[in-house]
Amino acid sequence: MKQSYLLILTVLLFGSVSEVNSAQSLKSVDLRFEDAQTDEVPDFQRHVVPLLSRLGCNGRACHGSFQGRGGFQLSLFGYDFAVDHQALFNEDSPRVNLESPNDSLIIAKPTDEFEHEGGKRYEKESWEHNLIRQWITGGAKFEENSVSKLLRVEITPEEILFSRQGQTEQLTVIAVWEDGTREDVTPLVRYYTNDNLIADVDQDGLVTSGESKGDTHVVISYDKAVVPIPVLRPLTNLVGKRYPKIETPTRIDELVVEKLRKLGIVPSDIASDAEFLRRVSLDISGTLPTAQEAAEFIQDKSPNKRAQKVEALLNSPGYAAWWATKLSDFTGNNDQQLVNTSPSRTGPGEIWYRWIEQRVAQNMPYDELAEGIILGTSLDRGQSYEEFCQEMTDLHKQDELNVAGMKTMPYYWARREFRLPPERAISFAYAFMGIRIQCAQCHKHPFDIWSKQDFAEFSNFFTGVRFGTTPPTGEGRESYNKMIADLGLKGLRGGELRRKITNEMRKGSVVPFPVVYTVAGRKVDENGRSTGEAVVDATILGDTTISFERGQDLRVPLMEWLRADENPYFAKAFVNRVWANYFGRGIVDPPDDLSLANAPSNKALLEHLTQGFIDSGFDMKWVHREIVMSRTYQQTWVANDTNAQDKTNFSHQLPRRLPAEVTVDAIQLATASDDESLRMQQEMHRRAIAIATSSERYLQGGTPEAFPLMVFGRSTRESNCECDRSTDATLLQTVFLQNDDVVYSLMNRRNTGWLEQVAKEYDLPFNVQARNQPKPPENYEQTFKNLQQRLKKLQADPSQKAQYEAALKTRRRLISQFGLPKSLQPTTAEQSLNLEQMQEIVEQAYLRTLTRFPNETEMDRSLEFIAQADDKINGVRGLLWALVNTKEFILNH
Amino acid sequence: MAVHKTCDGVVRRDFLRVGVAGMTGMNLAGYLNMAQAGQLAEAQGKNAIFVNLTGGPSHMDTFDLKPDAPKEYRGTFNPTKTNVSGVEFSEHLPQLAKCADKFAIFRGVSHTLGAHRLGTEYVNTGNRPLASLEYPGYGAVITKELSKPADIPQFVAIPRSNQRAGFLGVRYAPLNTGRTPTIGAPFSVRGVSLGAGLTVTEVKKRKALLDDLDNTFAGAEENSQLVEGLDEFSQQAHAMITSPRSRQAFDISKESPAFAKKFGDSNFGASCLLATRLVESGVKFVTLTYGGWDTHRDNFTSLKDRQLPSFDEGLSGLFVGLEEKGLLDSTVVYVTGEFGRTPKINDRTAEGGRDHYPRCMFMLMAGGGIRGGQVIGASDDKATGPANEAIAPDDVAATFYHAMGIDHLKEYHTATGRPIMIVRDGTPIQQAFA
Repeated sequence: MKQSYLLILTVLLFGSVSEVNSAQSLKSVDLRFEDAQTDEVPDFQRHVVPLLSRLGCNGRACHGSFQGRGGFQLSLFGYDFAVDHQALFNEDSPRVNLESPNDSLIIAKPTDEFEHEGGKRYEKESWEHNLIRQWITGGAKFEENSVSKLLRVEITPEEILFSRQGQTEQLTVIAVWEDGTREDVTPLVRYYTNDNLIADVDQDGLVTSGESKGDTHVVISYDKAVVPIPVLRPLTNLVGKRYPKIETPTRIDELVVEKLRKLGIVPSDIASDAEFLRRVSLDISGTLPTAQEAAEFIQDKSPNKRAQKVEALLNSPGYAAWWATKLSDFTGNNDQQLVNTSPSRTGPGEIWYRWIEQRVAQNMPYDELAEGIILGTSLDRGQSYEEFCQEMTDLHKQDELNVAGMKTMPYYWARREFRLPPERAISFAYAFMGIRIQCAQCHKHPFDIWSKQDFAEFSNFFTGVRFGTTPPTGEGRESYNKMIADLGLKGLRGGELRRKITNEMRKGSVVPFPVVYTVAGRKVDENGRSTGEAVVDATILGDTTISFERGQDLRVPLMEWLRADENPYFAKAFVNRVWANYFGRGIVDPPDDLSLANAPSNKALLEHLTQGFIDSGFDMKWVHREIVMSRTYQQTWVANDTNAQDKTNFSHQLPRRLPAEVTVDAIQLATASDDESLRMQQEMHRRAIAIATSSERYLQGGTPEAFPLMVFGRSTRESNCECDRSTDATLLQTVFLQNDDVVYSLMNRRNTGWLEQVAKEYDLPFNVQARNQPKPPENYEQTFKNLQQRLKKLQADPSQKAQYEAALKTRRRLISQFGLPKSLQPTTAEQSLNLEQMQEIVEQAYLRTLTRFPNETEMDRSLEFIAQADDKINGVRGLLWALVNTKEFILNH
Repeated sequence: MAVHKTCDGVVRRDFLRVGVAGMTGMNLAGYLNMAQAGQLAEAQGKNAIFVNLTGGPSHMDTFDLKPDAPKEYRGTFNPTKTNVSGVEFSEHLPQLAKCADKFAIFRGVSHTLGAHRLGTEYVNTGNRPLASLEYPGYGAVITKELSKPADIPQFVAIPRSNQRAGFLGVRYAPLNTGRTPTIGAPFSVRGVSLGAGLTVTEVKKRKALLDDLDNTFAGAEENSQLVEGLDEFSQQAHAMITSPRSRQAFDISKESPAFAKKFGDSNFGASCLLATRLVESGVKFVTLTYGGWDTHRDNFTSLKDRQLPSFDEGLSGLFVGLEEKGLLDSTVVYVTGEFGRTPKINDRTAEGGRDHYPRCMFMLMAGGGIRGGQVIGASDDKATGPANEAIAPDDVAATFYHAMGIDHLKEYHTATGRPIMIVRDGTPIQQAFA
């Protein structure tokens, strides 16, 4: 052992590394530099920079800050070796002194010999001191062109299983370099725990079991490697042979239970039919089941009814609308970003949404759908510019945009704040890869593999697509000029020109439309600025290099890379997002953070779904079906003794708040008449889940749903983050449900409301008292009676139609202002409901809000409430109000 | 984790002790900054009112007149003396001139964002907007830092606000009144005022029914913060709806006519009156929006006839009214548009107008220890830019937080884990407090 150590040392010193026996590892630096007399000269990349990281020097609050500290700035987290090396030799205040190494500031300051704001970082004569001194003595070298490539790190143990608090386990980390060297880098590695209540880790790699049971990951990062190590501690003693036998009808269930078994967690029972129906309808189609549907499903005896319901839901318009909304979230369909991208203000956002919706409805494979967005171009079917403008003008004349003929959807590339290559790289990575690379725009993050260089290279893919008000060249430009001349708009510019074009379009003329088109890409530098140099190739993550043919659309090879079977992001990001839709959290969570350090809670499960999705030919419905038909999805939210605390391993359903749009629709559905609720299920007109675009400003155009959508956190589609949508509960939401006029007026609406339907069915008066109703004038009774008589007379005479309608209007106005006169209101004595009728009403109220029948206690209490009411409908109103305000209503569970 | 020493050389435990010493909500750097500046006395601001003049009010025709500038700059308004010697306003702000001692005027505030939306986002957050991140508005930050559970909403927008919760999340979003009040008329607000013909008795009956029926998740609070939160909010919302305090807070017709009179009879004045009532009743943060300042055409007529009279009466009413109620010391009032307007008058119309001009603008601030009756900063002789060093919106924002006792350097984490300071680039202007 000792001999080989010396051999390696010799080899290192003399440089011919290839001769090293690869099975043997170099001992760790804390041992090698323990002795001040060592002759070894450490390496800048492998030892010095990682040591500076360990000491905290390049942290954000210290010299890693973008302003540096005390006139000394290092690259944040230490990934820019050349810059850091340069910083140490900075002319104004060099940090190394080659003549007298121990007087170097990187020794004098952190040993606190010289005043250091950051205090003492290491002791004199420690291994840290020896290592840095030896590097300086050896000439403080770093060769920029000889950066070594790390192949991998090997970590033992690969998984840690604890059984009680306070247990410890030491990690050992071996770095394997391309040149064949292996080195124990345990003291040079960064360690991070994803949950320090379950397990903590110190800077030497000692993992300690914490106060909580459960599972998490300890993340190790060194050079380019980032590796999460699972740490588990069972929640109960039901492990090994003691674990009960659980039915696992699907592959998903097998994989979930495999993990639960390690943790001693027993999954919950299967949910009741009622619970299942409510959950699956809300999840697949964003739609609350109707009362009738609920009653039928619960009473249906067919063994296949769940599978049948799932198929029906996947074929419903709600499914397409809800997933078009989700995909609009991911891709950022935001009308504020689309200002001036079309003569029609709302056109682009509508087209965007409709284009996706129609394709989701026909179940277009996901890779093709993505391709239609990624390769978006305005002239996508070989049209001339003139033909394109004709088609677009025609399209905007339709009431419902039919965009089936558009091969691609170009507006993704037209977004105002996403026209620079780096912004596009960020947005693209979020939408189609489920990762957040914004950090890498400025610095590499220690727990992700994307470096600043990787980011800049990746940005190159997005340099060839342009958005322009006018077509770029040649024929298109000529047609444009001609069109402008024909419309008599020559010489106009900017806003004035745009307004005039819009007016012309409204008048029915064919007008010029802005276009998305591609050109030859130009390379960008690290700051995202164009260098003018043609893009000949681009590298993804430092290993996949794609070369381009001259003039090629750079997005084509990017798309091919994305849809390839071995792509690490594309399919995975989608299945993980679908999973998150059904469980309130992703297998990787948050679902848009598929970074290496953010490990999946169940890797095998994520791999199964990813592979299955690829094998199915990117069939989106396959993913939905696979998930909702599993026992895991169909478990009840009711926890048992073993799984109540589990939030990450899918051992039971977690109650989650309905999304904003689904909430608004659910209130509408619960309060709608039977006919109206059936209509809302079948057509998406006026459904909140089918609102195309996003901004508050757009919605605030006086629509009643604008406020609740904001309060319940509809996605703002602004910052490339799942967090643009909120599912938090807030006080304002409860205030809204308890007492907002929008809710009252939905309950009290005429013609389409359920309360009015009940009043009609049971022949009860339907009184709606308006807010702040003023006292009627003294002679109101008489005035009203006169009006009634006049109406009767006018109605009989067809020639008096206009007068009749005017009088009708007056009558409506009077009623809404003062209500019906006392003498015309039915008295309380006339109101009666027998027990059976009241029971029917209570059942209906429960079915339409909570998708279930009431239990006995609930029935009795509800009956009592209605019976006590003088105005029976007001009693039912109170019950409906109470049900809409239960937690059971606002939660999917 | 293992390293407890920060690079400031202070061990974490000391840092915590600093926290316990009454500087809750402040990080160490902030503590030190304040200590250096001799500003460790407790901040006075407890509530705030933010007046957003959307459209971008002309600085040269309001608080920063240049009577000696050439004709094509000066405009038609004359300066008038105020109750502070040496400080002059436009002749069309007579009421504000009488209470100029109550507020500070920032002149020569300067930035570079000439579009309404971006400028508005800037002055409503104190941070230059980023495409990739939405900063929280002042109201969201104040709500997060200072609000307590109460039977009245903590952040109210009249009628709605440009201040959104941003990355802090919907929990800190405002209650929008949706409408502006009218002087003398009863005013009801969505959610808070009792709905359609309901009485408190009726609401209590329904709530009792709800409490009896809402049992499915009984016991699940232990393992679900969501369920627990919903329970809590249900009780709070009910308290808010049934408490006379909340309802009366919004009902400006309850205010004595003598008091209401000083606010004028405009909707803006009524909004200012409502803001004082709300703050008095325990609302932490009120924004009110007063638009119409985008005077590209007919700048002078629009200002003289339409904008300034109600602005003058309403805002002076706000300052005087708050003082009368003894609230001006504890309430910071912050008034700003998104930018100033071009000093040189354009020739779009015979009368002329002024266009967007972020390089030079004014802001006003009062209360919470801000010394009134002073001018901070200055513009050059034609009001085309700062005369000396520019004041950035970020600096005014930092000053505002300072007045509210909030360290503007405090860091929040976005959902992606990125640390972001409340105001990333500003420094409190000490002169404001001196």
